[in-house]
Amino acid sequence: MTLTSLSRPLTAEDAAHFLRRTAFGATDPQIRALVGRDARTVARQALAFDQSAAPGNPFDPMQGAAPGPMLQLTRGAWLFEMVYGPHPLREKLALTWSNHFVIGTDKVRNAPALAGYLGLLRQHAATGSFERFTLDVARSPAMLRYLDNDQNRRGRPNENFSRELLELFTTGIGHYSEDDVREGARALTGWTFEGGRGNQKYLEESRFVFLERQHDAGRKTYLGHSGNLRGEDVVRLATSHPQTAAFVSRKLHRAFLADTPDEAAVQGSAETWRRTNGNVRAVLEELLSSEAFYASRARIIRSPVEYVVGALRTLGQPRMEAKALLNLTQTTGRMGQLLLQPDTVKGWDGGREWINDTTLLLRLQVAAALTLGGQAPALSGAPSALALTGQERPATAAATLNLNPRQATYLHLISPEFQLA
Amino acid sequence: MTNRRDFLKLSALAAAATTGMPGFLARAAAQAGGSKTLVVIQLSGGNDGLNTLVPYSNGAYYAARPNIAIPRKDVLTLSPDLGMHPALRPLMGLWDSGRLAWMENVGYPNPNRSHFASMAIWHTADPSQAQSDGWIGRIAEQIGDPFCASNVGAATPQALRASEFSLPSIDAVDRFQLKLPQGLGGAFEQMMGAARSGEAAYLTQATRQMMQNTARVQANAQKYRSGATYPEGRFAEQLRDTARLIAAGVGQRVLYVSLGGFDTHAGQRAEQDELLGTLASGLAAFHADLERQGLAENVVVMGFSEFGRRVAENGSAGTDHGKGSVMFALGRGVRGGIHGSSPDLEDLSDGDIKYRQDFRGVYAEALSGWLGLNAREILNGDFSGPGWLA
Repeated sequence: MTLTSLSRPLTAEDAAHFLRRTAFGATDPQIRALVGRDARTVARQALAFDQSAAPGNPFDPMQGAAPGPMLQLTRGAWLFEMVYGPHPLREKLALTWSNHFVIGTDKVRNAPALAGYLGLLRQHAATGSFERFTLDVARSPAMLRYLDNDQNRRGRPNENFSRELLELFTTGIGHYSEDDVREGARALTGWTFEGGRGNQKYLEESRFVFLERQHDAGRKTYLGHSGNLRGEDVVRLATSHPQTAAFVSRKLHRAFLADTPDEAAVQGSAETWRRTNGNVRAVLEELLSSEAFYASRARIIRSPVEYVVGALRTLGQPRMEAKALLNLTQTTGRMGQLLLQPDTVKGWDGGREWINDTTLLLRLQVAAALTLGGQAPALSGAPSALALTGQERPATAAATLNLNPRQATYLHLISPEFQLA
Repeated sequence: MTNRRDFLKLSALAAAATTGMPGFLARAAAQAGGSKTLVVIQLSGGNDGLNTLVPYSNGAYYAARPNIAIPRKDVLTLSPDLGMHPALRPLMGLWDSGRLAWMENVGYPNPNRSHFASMAIWHTADPSQAQSDGWIGRIAEQIGDPFCASNVGAATPQALRASEFSLPSIDAVDRFQLKLPQGLGGAFEQMMGAARSGEAAYLTQATRQMMQNTARVQANAQKYRSGATYPEGRFAEQLRDTARLIAAGVGQRVLYVSLGGFDTHAGQRAEQDELLGTLASGLAAFHADLERQGLAENVVVMGFSEFGRRVAENGSAGTDHGKGSVMFALGRGVRGGIHGSSPDLEDLSDGDIKYRQDFRGVYAEALSGWLGLNAREILNGDFSGPGWLA
């Protein structure tokens, strides 16, 4: 069963909910602009983003004097785009995909490779073809380097990418054999990149190359199909596998519906996925206008990045010193989410895994720094309880009655209601 | 138990926090007793056991690894057949004094070569992957105290997941304290007191637990003065914080520290050599510190990785995911030596060694022999171990 569309026009809480989930959060005027609108139109418009960027981004990774500073600038530039950019849903999707097609800056320490990877995540954020998206990522120098396919040669296979392609990027575990992993690795031999390799060349461009002489052209059997398979065939067979529709749909549900998704709703999206041959835009449009989406309130624990970006967007995108923004990217790392550096190739588990004593303490500190601290950005009036909690009459209302706007905003930012979406 | 009473007096805020705590906390004071601590070291990514405890007299080892084998002349000899990787030299003193144990050939039935599936199996102590709670989470439930086990680091591993509560992660002891802005204590309590359900109730409970835990640590952690010079780096810092938590005597029975980066698919020698050096120098300093503090009798360290690596090297001077591997343990409570028999490198399963010792047997000895707990209940079965405790 595909998902049913919400039939009522959006209420104020519906609008706030939609923006908490798709735009990290929003101001009162942004919420009001969606009230009374039709859910399908709202979802379609949010997904109609282009590739334009926030003006005046102060961070340019190419100015990094060494790999370490370059990585900081890369993270800072991305955080700036999330906070100040014109297309928060595109950035939220890029963040979601960075937790699907995981790479890590422990191994990928090249500015153009990282920019190219991020560019793919934005370009394909609501892709019309998951197969095309996967193929582009598989051939990106960032992924070739991260999962070692650049070392995968005829007669000397390296299985790392081949395994994760199935386990983490397409079908999920339990739908393939060790033979598929091995045969996939053979088919992917010869995919590598040239340029931009090594610590000294961290600013040098790199590009995909196919080395025919390194390719194992022999016969393989992969996911039940036999032939002289090549890398493109492996990507096509893995992405069009029926389980891929459910596996990747479940990740989209985790990003937009609930930390613990409802399996029936996931199967609804998977059906749309299969019907449209992996048209992620169609799946997302249906998902983000569904009754299930609007009924699922306060079921996602905001990630560290969502917490920080959500606070700043709800506060009306106040100007911040470049240094303060860079510090915030480091702080999200200490809270468990350093951009472009998940703990493992599986990505962040999210949900309750974001919460422990240390990360809670840091959330309290960030909230204080943004509202009460000496360097706190200018605040033009406190955001409403609706903007901060998603509820017109939240449980926190009584506690903030006698507080000034900064104190009230602080208390809301540390409340369970703000930390959920 | 004076610690807990001291803590309760700390502040009205902290005292108020305890009133909302579930009943298991009340039980904790009675049951958390026991002076022994287990420190678990996780080597994330799949540490190559064969280049850690090296079968240097075995021709099959050198035949399988023409580029990355540890040359015989570099091996730190432990027995006529086995020796340690040279980067583990800082542990030789512990070996010589009989305080270092190696457990050979450890694994589990139907090995899984996925990092995540295999790590989850070690964390839950359940090869069928049916459990979602961790084995240390179940320890906490058996003891009945949500502070009796902690992760030292940022993210809490699944091993410390319990069904009723989340066990704390302490990133750095010095920063582990709550300072509410002045004048907001009352409003904060009122906000926390609102009725909630679902994830909101979970966050409220987690916040209250954090307030309790931070107060408990800060009340005691100032006692510690380091008794050893630790090397630079995050891992050693976490070990120093571990020593500090033990010295503070705040009642933690299990502490958990991770060192990552062992997924050596390419250029293994450079990567693993450095990591093993970090491991060994950190642990040697940690043990020396405990000796100076007079705490060495009460602490054992047990280390594992989610799997070992393929016997034969791959085409990138690295190794791909494998199956069984070695475990280690150190401390005064340990029976030093090599436990268990080495794998037969000419009788492989799919290119991997065939394990002989189930890791749950190693856990079981830590649980019953060291912590005095009911291992069968925590591990859902009886498992025999190699006898690694003195």
